[in-house]
Amino acid sequence: MKMLDVLRPATVSHVPQDHFLVVHPLDDVPEEKIEIATLGRMQMTTSVKLALMTLRGYLVLMILLVFYDVLELARFWGPRAH
Amino acid sequence: MPEQILSIPVSADQAQPVRGRVVRSKWLYHVMTFLMVFGPGLIVMEADNDAGAVSTYVQAGAQYGTRLLWVLLLLLPVTYFIQEMVVRLGIVTGKEHAIMIYQRFGRWWGLFSLVDLQLVNFLTLVTEFAAISLALSHMNIEPRVGVPLAAVALVIMVLTGSYRRWERITVFLCLLDLAWIFIALKLRPPFAEIFYNTAIPGIPEGGVTSSLTFLVIAIVGTTIAPWQLFFQQSCIADKRLRFADLKWARLDTLLGATFTIVVAACMMIAGNAARAHGISFSDPAQMASDLRLVAGATIRGGILLLMINAAVLGTTAISLSSAWAYGEVRGWSHSLEMPVRQAPGFYLTYVVCVGLAAAIVLIPRAPLQLIILGVQVLAGIMLPSAIIFLQLLLNDKEVLGEKFVNKPWNNWVNWTIIIVLFILSLILAAQVAAPRLFPAS
Repeated sequence: MKMLDVLRPATVSHVPQDHFLVVHPLDDVPEEKIEIATLGRMQMTTSVKLALMTLRGYLVLMILLVFYDVLELARFWGPRAH
Repeated sequence: MPEQILSIPVSADQAQPVRGRVVRSKWLYHVMTFLMVFGPGLIVMEADNDAGAVSTYVQAGAQYGTRLLWVLLLLLPVTYFIQEMVVRLGIVTGKEHAIMIYQRFGRWWGLFSLVDLQLVNFLTLVTEFAAISLALSHMNIEPRVGVPLAAVALVIMVLTGSYRRWERITVFLCLLDLAWIFIALKLRPPFAEIFYNTAIPGIPEGGVTSSLTFLVIAIVGTTIAPWQLFFQQSCIADKRLRFADLKWARLDTLLGATFTIVVAACMMIAGNAARAHGISFSDPAQMASDLRLVAGATIRGGILLLMINAAVLGTTAISLSSAWAYGEVRGWSHSLEMPVRQAPGFYLTYVVCVGLAAAIVLIPRAPLQLIILGVQVLAGIMLPSAIIFLQLLLNDKEVLGEKFVNKPWNNWVNWTIIIVLFILSLILAAQVAAPRLFPAS
């Protein structure tokens, strides 16, 4: 149990020389992070445009396939041939 | 002079006291810092070994023995690379993934990602509770009693108003999965065959068939899931990890990935043992019950309990990823550090996800195995889009700056992963649309 005490945080007001202070992230002063909301939308470079276009194509294809499979399951074109 | 005090809350004049520990040894300082950062990486990886994963891996073992172990080894660096990007993004921005897609790609893509996430998450939650129900009935516990009890326990777990308490409980549950290693060893695994099939990729006898393709895609879909991207970033934001924690968060993620793949391999080995004894089964609970005849009651009970544990882990992580994402997009307070009265919308989302999924399982008698595999496949189809956003965000110099943005080698690796995932998804789609192209067995 005594060994586990080392993991338990205590209030520290002085760190002696040659010692180290370990602080849990939740006990630490919050760090300043980048404010994304002020940046607005991402720059539409060629590679971003290409990636999003590919994604759109992929999603359209997937939706069509799901639609096709639903029609197939509903035997829209008659019984499935196997 | 001590090398470094993390973020120096005790200022130069040391006037402001802070909660922490003073240690003398540098080694202990590193170990303790790691232990304090440790958690999100292990949880996100191990929670992915959920009920669906147990089912998929044991089925892979039952159908193909240890022949697909190399797929798991291949997925280890893949899962690490993907989640490492999430770690960087989370630490640098301190924001959830969903809101970043909203803010950087616009409302349409933001809404698309959020709806996708909520849909796949909810379906997955239903499968988690279905697995709990199944395991309970094999343990002669009435699911109508056991499932609501599990749901209540899952809700209590997060209502304590302490991120740390939730994390400790969840890490403990993750470590319970070490029992899979014990089970695999107890089933007398063929070590030489295991090492060979892990190191040397090979196609099982029968060649590339429809069921093999389906299973490989299901394995990929279950090992890398879209909710993981959202979950780990939210965890990191909620835990308020600092820039200095990056290396420890990476180590946490690497250990989590390794642990998860080892556990997944043990599940496959359990399926292989059932196969070796001529046991055929439709779900892991049935496999556990049938294995009792050859391996004893401990193995049976162990597998059933681990099935429940896997489902509980999956449920808490998936519901939280939904609640964090929805909370941030709606602009609600959303932190496990907050009491319920300060973040009612966030906790309500979690409770609704858990409660509704549990209730659905108690009403109909759904074909569990089919739903589980279906969800894995659906997640596999949706994964490429989630990873594309991640990859684009990791190349966003405005957000990450030169220091944290993807390096060229990162991009090569990640685009390769994305292309492979797209190809797997397209194969799956072709399989659905034109099944005659693939031999049936």
